[in-house]
Amino acid sequence: MLVSTLKRLAQSVPIMIGVAIVVFVTMKLIPGDPVAALLGPNSTPASRHALTERLGLDQPLPVQFGSWAISALHGDLGTSISLQRAVGPLVVGAFLNTLILLVAALLIALVGGIVLGTLSALRPSSVLGRFVRGFTLFTISIPQYTVALLLLLFAVETGLLPTGGMVTTGQSGPGTVLVHLVLPAIAASITPMGGIARLFSTALSDVLHQDFITSYRARGLAGAAVLRHAVHGTIPALLNITGLQVSYLLGGTLFIEVIFAWPGLGQLVFQAVSSRDYPVVQAGVLLSALVLVLVNVVVDSVHAAIDPRVRA
Amino acid sequence: MSADTVTRTIAAAPAAPRAARPRMRWGSETIAGAIIVGGLIAVALLAPVLAPASPTAGDIGRRLFDVGTNGNILGTDGQGRDILTRLIWGARPALIGGITPVLIAGVIGTALGMIAGLAPRIGRSAIMRTLDVLYAFPAILLAVAIGAALGPGVVNSIVSLAVVLIAPIARVAEAEVLRVRSADFIDVARASGASRALIAIRQVLPNIAPTLIVYGTSLIGLAIVYSAGLSFLGLGVTPPEPDWGQMLNDLRQFIYDRPLLSLVPAAAILLASIGFNLLGDGLKRRLEVRDGEALL
Repeated sequence: MLVSTLKRLAQSVPIMIGVAIVVFVTMKLIPGDPVAALLGPNSTPASRHALTERLGLDQPLPVQFGSWAISALHGDLGTSISLQRAVGPLVVGAFLNTLILLVAALLIALVGGIVLGTLSALRPSSVLGRFVRGFTLFTISIPQYTVALLLLLFAVETGLLPTGGMVTTGQSGPGTVLVHLVLPAIAASITPMGGIARLFSTALSDVLHQDFITSYRARGLAGAAVLRHAVHGTIPALLNITGLQVSYLLGGTLFIEVIFAWPGLGQLVFQAVSSRDYPVVQAGVLLSALVLVLVNVVVDSVHAAIDPRVRA
Repeated sequence: MSADTVTRTIAAAPAAPRAARPRMRWGSETIAGAIIVGGLIAVALLAPVLAPASPTAGDIGRRLFDVGTNGNILGTDGQGRDILTRLIWGARPALIGGITPVLIAGVIGTALGMIAGLAPRIGRSAIMRTLDVLYAFPAILLAVAIGAALGPGVVNSIVSLAVVLIAPIARVAEAEVLRVRSADFIDVARASGASRALIAIRQVLPNIAPTLIVYGTSLIGLAIVYSAGLSFLGLGVTPPEPDWGQMLNDLRQFIYDRPLLSLVPAAAILLASIGFNLLGDGLKRRLEVRDGEALL
């Protein structure tokens, strides 16, 4: 299993290089001359030429990409234009905050999704089953920002939970973070919960219709015991959908973070976009994509470890 | 038995049932979805006629009226513009921003998927690996990054979303092509001398179309949400043109005094999304296509 994981990691390296190229090219798409923008309208051609040379912008594109990539590998991702700080630590710190939100949201989504999916699979035609299906349709259709706004409204009207930020000013430690985490995590978990519920419902229903379940029932096994045996077969699908929801959440938390002022990567990227702080946008997107590639490698490896049918 | 008895026996037998034609059961989901989508398209087309006021000219003296005020049934925004009017006019950028990227990505993605699916192993690997790179980005972040690079505007928003949607569509198309490719009728077509291009268009495409249409329909719902999201972040439709996402961002600042106002565009986006998802779900059940949902 270790060997295949390493093989998968090695196979993901070209993808990571591709990701870096896409991020680099995307930033090069920006219209306008960055040097003129940096120096202002009153700059002389000589100073513009000097800065162009210093920033290496007169080199051919592959060379520029190479030097950017090499510095990135050394942890130097440039300086934030608006904050005048090193981009690397800024982005990593924000990412860790997003990670807290992401893990919390994923846990809620998994628990809720599995419960809802089970209800829908076991009693498809009942009122409960139809309600669950309607509810999951609602949750996958509702935009993240709408859920966040609704919960923010709830916080504003009832004053029960904080309306923003990660900690209450003056406090620190896990307690205050948890209190501030509740609403954003619930908001972020709604759409993934619907997606997981729908997929789990289909997967469980497929497994329950298989012959071995019928044979168990014929031998007198009932209720919860049958479910236990059936759940086994749903784990690959669950892994798959979890990987997908992580992908969704890595970007989706952006709106939640903006609305709840959670100091994560999404909010950082959003502010950087507004202030045209391209090094930060670049680094943020790069980090998210690389993390996602790694997550996919992990998901695939775990999948292959538990399901022999998938091993190439 | 004598010939006579045989004839009488046959004549006495009940008539063979007519060849069963599958009844078109569209299902309540499809109908509900179609009604919502149809309604949206109608609103978008009839906007100049339906809207009670001007979408861009506001009366500052009547700013921030709450939902249910006489004369402005859905309230007015910070510049005194009637929200119902802006909501109606906002249906156009919503639909355009949702349908166009899916169409563009659909054509490109299907073509890529078909080429990849029908190509020899090496070609397929090359194409799919390249698409994997795009797939590695969280969709929203990629859209935001491209949108940020290109700048605000409807066209740029459409381009960013189309780029994001190409990879998932190509994946579904490729999977479908692989499924169809081993069928007998493909061999027959090849044996009868049809060129690869002809096989692709005449045999493969009609067979993968149902899945792609269903997938595309639900992607439209997603694209509407994403494009409103881009406008929410200031990257899509620029003021003063009305757009649901932009209205949401604009009204968000008044959430403490006029919370209901921001819920209006939110409800519109939600309705549009539900409509297309219902339609997609209904079509999926009706056409009995495989589940392409899990891929984005």
